[in-house]
Amino acid sequence: MENMATQKKYHQLREELDQLLAWFDQDQLDVDEALKKYEAATKLADQMEVYLKTAENSIQKLTKQK
Amino acid sequence: MSPDIVFEVSDFVAVFNQTIEYTYPSVSIVGELANLKVSKGRWLYFDVKDDSASVRFFGTVYNLPGPLEDGMRIQVRGTPRLHPQFGFSVSVQQITPVGEGAIKRAADLLKAKLQTEGLFDAARKRPLPYPPQRIGLIASAESAAYADFMKILGHRWAGIDIVHCDVQVQGESAPEQIINALTRLNAEAGLEAIVLIRGGGSADDLQSFSIEQVVRAVAASRVPVLAAIGHEIDESLVELAADVRASTPSNAAELLVPDKRAVQAMIAEQLRIAQNTMLHTVQMNQNTLSQDVQQLQARMQHCVTTHRSELAVRRQVIHGYDPRRILAAGYAIVSRGGSRIRSITEAEKGLSLQITLQDGQLTAVVTDVHKV
Repeated sequence: MENMATQKKYHQLREELDQLLAWFDQDQLDVDEALKKYEAATKLADQMEVYLKTAENSIQKLTKQK
Repeated sequence: MSPDIVFEVSDFVAVFNQTIEYTYPSVSIVGELANLKVSKGRWLYFDVKDDSASVRFFGTVYNLPGPLEDGMRIQVRGTPRLHPQFGFSVSVQQITPVGEGAIKRAADLLKAKLQTEGLFDAARKRPLPYPPQRIGLIASAESAAYADFMKILGHRWAGIDIVHCDVQVQGESAPEQIINALTRLNAEAGLEAIVLIRGGGSADDLQSFSIEQVVRAVAASRVPVLAAIGHEIDESLVELAADVRASTPSNAAELLVPDKRAVQAMIAEQLRIAQNTMLHTVQMNQNTLSQDVQQLQARMQHCVTTHRSELAVRRQVIHGYDPRRILAAGYAIVSRGGSRIRSITEAEKGLSLQITLQDGQLTAVVTDVHKV
């Protein structure tokens, strides 16, 4: 797992994803560029998924401790 | 027969007084009080008589045990004397009502008088410290009352400092001894209460405690007084003037101090209640904390779930933007000089267009334009 200091916050990941998705709304779309953006967006979504899963695990761990 | 001795009047008075003083320096005479008269608020004149004789008495109001009235049976102690001008009388030393009726009547008269003065008013009563650390005790050391009081006091509450004045509680010298004891104890430092006790007895036995000077001394005491005189049914004026009245000497000890066992039980009970209260408070806080933690966990879970839903929506959007998915379905991207063409109005016959398919790009020339 990434170091906490270098790890991006969830909202930062989401902002980046939203910017990528906004790119797709423009008129002039280059397929190669669109492919890159698509892959980048998928990767961000995966990171966000891991982030949420980690958070959920932490909550469940604390619940069991109680 | 020897000839009569002839005296000058003054000589006779002197010889008579000398003889009587030698023979009867002090006499006590019992009879019915008559012709009681107080002159100038100070001098006292009265007769004591029976069916066939009457004797004149002279004294001061300070000799009175309290208010008296004609007809009461009294005993008077005094010195017989023949006065050069006023004739024979007995100089009063002490007057005591005699018999239950007279004693009660004298007490009633004194009670009415002192009541009018407010000596028995409830407003004058002072509370006793509970329990006191140091007390004065006026009692006869030989009496059962003293033994009972000490026994109950020690049984209930130990460690009280007691200054005891051993006094006679009946008889001629009792009033003076009680007054002196009150005076002495009031001069003692640190006394918190004075206990005045005497066991049961006849009206005659108890009358020292209804003598005006004694009652006034009790009322004037700087230190609060607890009095228990006789049995519960006996009412002495001292008890009315005292700050607190107990029914018996044993009851005086009960009123003065708490029972240490009852106090111990009360403390134990208070401790138990305090422990329960503390335990309950801890449990309440534990419950509240547990609920707070549960709420926090629920909110956190809700937060994660909400973001996960948002993420799912974004994934759908991303999926929609996958260029390969569109091209794989047989669609193509038509461009002119790098710009996408979305309408036939942007193309014209002979124009060269770039067409992107899923596996590559080709260039085509527009040969015709048809509006659909």
